[in-house]
Amino acid sequence: MSQQPRSHFVPRTREGRIATAGFVVLFLLAMPPFTHVILDQPDVWIGGAPLLFRGLLAIYAALIGVLLWAWNKGV
Amino acid sequence: MEPWVVATSLIFAYLLATIVLGVIANQRMSVDMEDFLLYGRKAGFVVLYLTVVATFHSAFAFLGSGGFFYTHGIGFWAAGTWTVLVGAVTYVLGPRIWALGKANGYITPADMLADFYESEAVRVAVAIVSVVFTILYIQVQAQGLGYIINIASGDRISFELGTLILLVVAAAYLMAGGLRAVYWTDVIQGVWMYIAVWVGAMYLAYDLFGGPLQLWAEVRAQRPDLLSLPGPEGFFTPGMWLGMTITLSFGIIFQPHMMIRYYTAVDAKTLKLLGATTPIYLMTLYVPAALVGLGGAVAMPGLDVPDRIFPELLFAHAPPILTGVILAGATAAAMSTLDSILHANMSVLTRDVYQRYMAPDREQSHYVWVGRGIVAALLVVGYFLSVRTFDFLVVLVTLSGSGALQLMPAILGVCFPTQRTLTRAGVLAGLGVGLGVLYVTLVVMPHPLGLHGGIWALLFNTAVALGVSAVTDPPSQATRDRIHGEVERQIYPETSS
Repeated sequence: MSQQPRSHFVPRTREGRIATAGFVVLFLLAMPPFTHVILDQPDVWIGGAPLLFRGLLAIYAALIGVLLWAWNKGV
Repeated sequence: MEPWVVATSLIFAYLLATIVLGVIANQRMSVDMEDFLLYGRKAGFVVLYLTVVATFHSAFAFLGSGGFFYTHGIGFWAAGTWTVLVGAVTYVLGPRIWALGKANGYITPADMLADFYESEAVRVAVAIVSVVFTILYIQVQAQGLGYIINIASGDRISFELGTLILLVVAAAYLMAGGLRAVYWTDVIQGVWMYIAVWVGAMYLAYDLFGGPLQLWAEVRAQRPDLLSLPGPEGFFTPGMWLGMTITLSFGIIFQPHMMIRYYTAVDAKTLKLLGATTPIYLMTLYVPAALVGLGGAVAMPGLDVPDRIFPELLFAHAPPILTGVILAGATAAAMSTLDSILHANMSVLTRDVYQRYMAPDREQSHYVWVGRGIVAALLVVGYFLSVRTFDFLVVLVTLSGSGALQLMPAILGVCFPTQRTLTRAGVLAGLGVGLGVLYVTLVVMPHPLGLHGGIWALLFNTAVALGVSAVTDPPSQATRDRIHGEVERQIYPETSS
């Protein structure tokens, strides 16, 4: 491997690209400004709990789902 | 029987069980460093899973997190971001570190970094960062243990004595059985603490409010300020949200007690499954913490030490036996982290300092005994650091994570091959600047512009590391081929032959 190595920061397979893009997009939904502007609505409740709590819980579950999908696909 | 008798008895029964496990682990142990320090590199999924989650979640999961919800409200649900990120980082980074450790016989994080950057100065710098910032963590856990036993005994066992007893027990089973004893006790601790937090929180939610949904409704009615960002005291600004996410994920993973766990896996596939599944445990443990903290703010307002909300509620409202079981779970949470940190510091000091510079060619059994002596010394240091009292455990955890976070550019340089790599001069300069900026942005002028000090330090660290690396000599081509080649073969075996 004396030639210049290919970067490991960019996924090389289709499944790798899907998993990376999916994780990054979902993760951004759990970050400001989305959390502080969109999810922080104290008057909006879903299933007996605030939107901020339920919304983030759904995003966290989806992020774990991406990791499990990647593992299942052998990424 | 009085509640404090039941609670204290159960904690001591639990401590006895950990010592028995330490003795059994000692009988299974072979006297060599890989077995004593790395579980022989054969940890399977279940053991590794429970030791990772039990080590990640500490006294802070029981005390600090409830206290944070109590004081700052729903913003602490940001905790889910860093727990999920821990999983993703483990998934991506774990197999790389495992492969390099197995191929090159690494035992500590400094082994890996010194080998790649061809620098003893890097080894020493990493060892110092590893020890200094994790000793802070020993303090955090030991203080948590002191709080727990002090509360459980109804002030009959002092904070100082409680801290000492639990430090001695953790050190004893570590000295007896090495990492095997730590892993076995972590299995019990991981299961116990998870069940304890959930059972305790649900009991309180039903007993005090009629259920979790009623609890949410009551918080909405009485303390709506706890249900919006940035919280009653304005803590959860966007900058703090981002900063805590980064420092409590990468910053924890780059601490030696977590990185060493990657070396111990039986194979890389186990680590990937670990990465995909650990967030389930890590994240869901904060759901009951939210119920305890938010419900506690309504049911028991005005606590002087918010971190005590969970045990105070239990003593006030739960049956003694349940309180005892749950506080023993809290003890498990703190001890499972404490023993891992003691072990990691022992490994770093034995391997990177004693074996490297003081006695390089001694028998394996000699190093095992030196490691035991170092644990005894760490116990003394940890105790004296711990008898100072702090109200908010989470602040100290954040400080610890921010220090280890400064290893990030160097570690990524090893584990992620790129066309231009960092150099030893770049890594050392970046680390030095990062630690200096960390001191300024956490102590002198905390969190400038609302952005967490750890992130400021990382930004300066990375910029300096890249800048200096652009004008200094990289590691030799042979070393880069050997180490980056191993990473390439591990991650892309089909194209690297």
